[in-house]
Amino acid sequence: MTAFSYHRPTTLPEAWRLLAAHPGAVLLAGGTDLLVRIRAREIRPPAVVSLRRIPVLAGATVERGGGLRIGAATPVADLLRHPAVVRRYPLLAQALRVMASPQIRNVATLGGNLCNASPCADTAPPLLAYEARVVLERARGRRELPLETFFLGPGETARRPGEILTAVRLPAPPPGARVLFHKQRRVHLDLALASVAVLLQFRGSTCRRARIAAGSVGPTPLRLREVERLIEGRVVTPELAAQAGALAARSVSPIDDLRATAAWRRTIVEVRLRRAILELAGLSPEGGAS
Amino acid sequence: MTARRYIGRAVPRPDAPDKAAGRALYIHDLARPGMLYGKVKFSEHAHARILRIDTSAAERVRGVRAVLTAWNTPELRFGFLRDNLALKRDKVRQFRDEVAAVAAVDPDAAAEAVERIRVEYEPLPGVFSPEEALREGAPLVHETDPQGRPRRDNRVPLRFHHESGDLAAAERASRYVVAGTFSTPRIQQSCMGTAGCIAEFDRRGHLTMWAKTQIPFLAQRDFARALADIGLGDRDVRVVVPTLGGGFGSGLDTHAYEYLAILLAWKTGRPVKIVYTREEEFACLSPRQCAVTRIAQGCDAEGRLTFRRVEVLQDNGAYTSWGATYPSVMMVPVTSLYKVPAVYFDAQLAYTNNTYCQAMRGYGNPEVNWAIESNLDDLARAAGIDPLELRLRNCNEPGEVTPMGLKVGTCGLRECLERTAARLGWRERRAARDGTAGAEPAKRRGIGLASLCHVGGSGRIYRSDASGVVLRLDDFGFVHVLYGGVEMGQGLHSVLTLAVAEALGVRPEKVVIGPTDTANCPWDVGTHASRGAFMACTTVLRAADALRRRIFDLARTVFPAEAEEALRRHRKRNPDDRPPEFDVAAAAARTGAFDLRDGVLFLRDAPPEPWLRLDLARFLRAVHFREGGEMLSAEAFVDPPTQLPDFERGFGNLSAAYAYGTQGAEVEVDLETGEVRVLRLVAVHDVGAVLNAQTLAGQMYGALAQGLGYALYEEVLSEGGRILNPDFRDYKLPTAHEMGMPIELEFVEPNEPAGPFGAKGVGEPGLVPTAPAIANAICDAVGVRLHDLPLRPERVLEALRKRGG
Repeated sequence: MTAFSYHRPTTLPEAWRLLAAHPGAVLLAGGTDLLVRIRAREIRPPAVVSLRRIPVLAGATVERGGGLRIGAATPVADLLRHPAVVRRYPLLAQALRVMASPQIRNVATLGGNLCNASPCADTAPPLLAYEARVVLERARGRRELPLETFFLGPGETARRPGEILTAVRLPAPPPGARVLFHKQRRVHLDLALASVAVLLQFRGSTCRRARIAAGSVGPTPLRLREVERLIEGRVVTPELAAQAGALAARSVSPIDDLRATAAWRRTIVEVRLRRAILELAGLSPEGGAS
Repeated sequence: MTARRYIGRAVPRPDAPDKAAGRALYIHDLARPGMLYGKVKFSEHAHARILRIDTSAAERVRGVRAVLTAWNTPELRFGFLRDNLALKRDKVRQFRDEVAAVAAVDPDAAAEAVERIRVEYEPLPGVFSPEEALREGAPLVHETDPQGRPRRDNRVPLRFHHESGDLAAAERASRYVVAGTFSTPRIQQSCMGTAGCIAEFDRRGHLTMWAKTQIPFLAQRDFARALADIGLGDRDVRVVVPTLGGGFGSGLDTHAYEYLAILLAWKTGRPVKIVYTREEEFACLSPRQCAVTRIAQGCDAEGRLTFRRVEVLQDNGAYTSWGATYPSVMMVPVTSLYKVPAVYFDAQLAYTNNTYCQAMRGYGNPEVNWAIESNLDDLARAAGIDPLELRLRNCNEPGEVTPMGLKVGTCGLRECLERTAARLGWRERRAARDGTAGAEPAKRRGIGLASLCHVGGSGRIYRSDASGVVLRLDDFGFVHVLYGGVEMGQGLHSVLTLAVAEALGVRPEKVVIGPTDTANCPWDVGTHASRGAFMACTTVLRAADALRRRIFDLARTVFPAEAEEALRRHRKRNPDDRPPEFDVAAAAARTGAFDLRDGVLFLRDAPPEPWLRLDLARFLRAVHFREGGEMLSAEAFVDPPTQLPDFERGFGNLSAAYAYGTQGAEVEVDLETGEVRVLRLVAVHDVGAVLNAQTLAGQMYGALAQGLGYALYEEVLSEGGRILNPDFRDYKLPTAHEMGMPIELEFVEPNEPAGPFGAKGVGEPGLVPTAPAIANAICDAVGVRLHDLPLRPERVLEALRKRGG
């Protein structure tokens, strides 16, 4: 590991001062991505500013209007113990439960997972489905963006130098929504080879609202709006579910890599989305393709 | 024979508490005063000429004590064919080739210095598959052999061949013949403890190596040879083995990093430690060889096997390790699994610019078993015979001499097959249907099985196949055991403990296993070939027998006096007691009078009086503290009745016993995604006899996990010789979750006469037939035959689509 100066501010203004004073400084939340990269000598930051002692960045609170504000440096394991997350945002909880290992979940944070901007970030698809917004703050100024516009590419976000992602805000969950997160893995402890997050609201057998997102099948986590539009306002049938799966497979842009082929990733999106829609609609999955 | 007190029971391992508590000392935990940290500079090309190495910037890094290249050190040549050099001089032949080494006062300085070494290369065209390597005019990996004679091609000069029976006639006489080509990948041993060593010279030039090895004595010889090359030919080499975090065959060779630690320690006069990171372990330590096996098998109308033809092509990588002798073990199943009257076997190894490979658990057997047992199911299908029936009709029998000349003693294969089939509900299920529906319509379930045979009574692949043990009794009744074999997590020490307790007649708590150290332990060829428990128990039985005879001999004079003294004390304490009259002296004089059990020495036909039962510790002190006193110890050195086969003819009785087993799997295949879920595993193994039921179960569960990983997940991926997944992020082992299915273990115990306590070796068999059992179950479920491991979902799906379209 290369040497760096290490700073542990307890307030945001202190953190901003440190960032300004140490050009090239990086922010540390859980460190589960950052420290791996430093140890591998992929990056050599001169200074590391820890966000772990800033109280305002930790914890989740229910906001007026029924939404949830999650401090960016809240560890994943804490979120899984938070009643509002588990009861009101089950799609997020499903994703958090299959993220990494228990040890990693104890330190890895929600904000860190988003700022790392990996296309396979497990928290991204459910947050996209909930139409979450991110709060970015700097010494003078604060802005809020839809999460969808936060991701620019692999490892790239809209966060500007000097800005700290302070919170993730989720609107009040759609009442009565049925949700399903599927993470395709090689073995239990794995990065997502492909993932789909599905949130459907029904009136009878008609889908009133669909929010669908996918991970690991494009340069960023993707919201699949075309698929949402296909389903919304229609009675869910096996045919519709199959169409949705096929459309999703066409909408994504996965790559071949050593974890999986692009073609297989498309297949997974198609099959898993179809099955998820059927399951949420209370229909039994239909027979196989072959 | 009297009932056994310890052997066969389920007993916790003696090393478990320290390991569980983090107290065991692995190489990573060890430090020596003044120790430096070594680090290796590896090649950045798969094949290139080294033009220049500039180490000046590295030498200027604060804390650096030495920077070595081939230009400032003696040449150290090593490897099974001595085709490898500790530091490469003229060219690099693989990405992990060692071009320089650094020693510094801390690991960061060493890493910093390695980064500052500049090497200029002239890239050369490389060969990255054995097929490519053997093509006419292919670039040569080695232009010359170790003696400097020019080489014409990339063939590794090792020949493994076998022919028996009239193959041409047998092929003609076959009613059904099925051929296929099967491949297995490179996989990593994935030891939890990465590789490492400490080298330290004393002021007289004697070397001590703390080495992560399975072959302390062959390593000692290798290191002594290196010292001779340095000019320290008459110095002593001592190899000490710390606690090992797994071996799985990765410790069967000496490695370049060990020679580099020696060179750095010699150059600096300080102890030097080199420990690989996980990424270095993946990228720079040798994995299991990959193999392509072409097979054809035939049978007659009744399903009797007529012939088996097997040709193996292996990617050796750039240098040659012991692992290159896999075909010596492949011959065992190829010639001897099921009765086959005519066999053809040929193995060819090619040098390539890929990472060089080495031994791993199973040693060639899983590679060919994958082909034999998959192909056998295809043959059964072609002949319209149930795969279980086909195997039973050709089942090996006790007492059989196989085409390779293996002398089968006991053989429980038939029972293994029958019991596996019974547990799977084979006959009912296979009769009923052709693949059953899974839990969901897009899923199908199936069952399959596969068997194995393997060496089970050591295996002679070296001039000696010996092991030795020293049992030394102290004044307190403890037995100190010095054994040259290696506990690497498999449970050797548990078996040693039970064997000593059983054979000598002491309680297991009184058995203390000493460290594995060439300075104290008797010579041992190594812990390989599933021979650890077999040889440990064999040597212990012999040494314990000698000790017991000496104890009973001494007891004739010592016991009566001690008993008299004990009686006097007894009377003093119990004045009203009237002990029965018993003539101790007369009883003691009779031959076979004494017995020793649980640390108590007694006369067999004496009444059960406390004063006639002599505590072993008390007896030992009486023997020791007297005029002409003595301390008791015994040594046994056993070279088992195994033959070093003639591998070019493929003939010889490699082992003193043979282990058999059958595994069954039930799987569910997702027709739309190609995913395979193993719902159930059954493993029924002929183990001769159970030694420690707990350790045995541990061996089997661990092996099944490796078998499952081999079948479904594991593969070292490479491109142009560069390893693409040198970490657990992208090299996937099965986790506890993947092993969560019901696993049924059962053991067949025919009591092998050649085996100690009737036991056979069981270290490797558990992972051999897992993959074909799973693949056969997949074939049962969805009707497709898969030829290439691992059975990734993409491959399964592709096969399903090919069949469908």
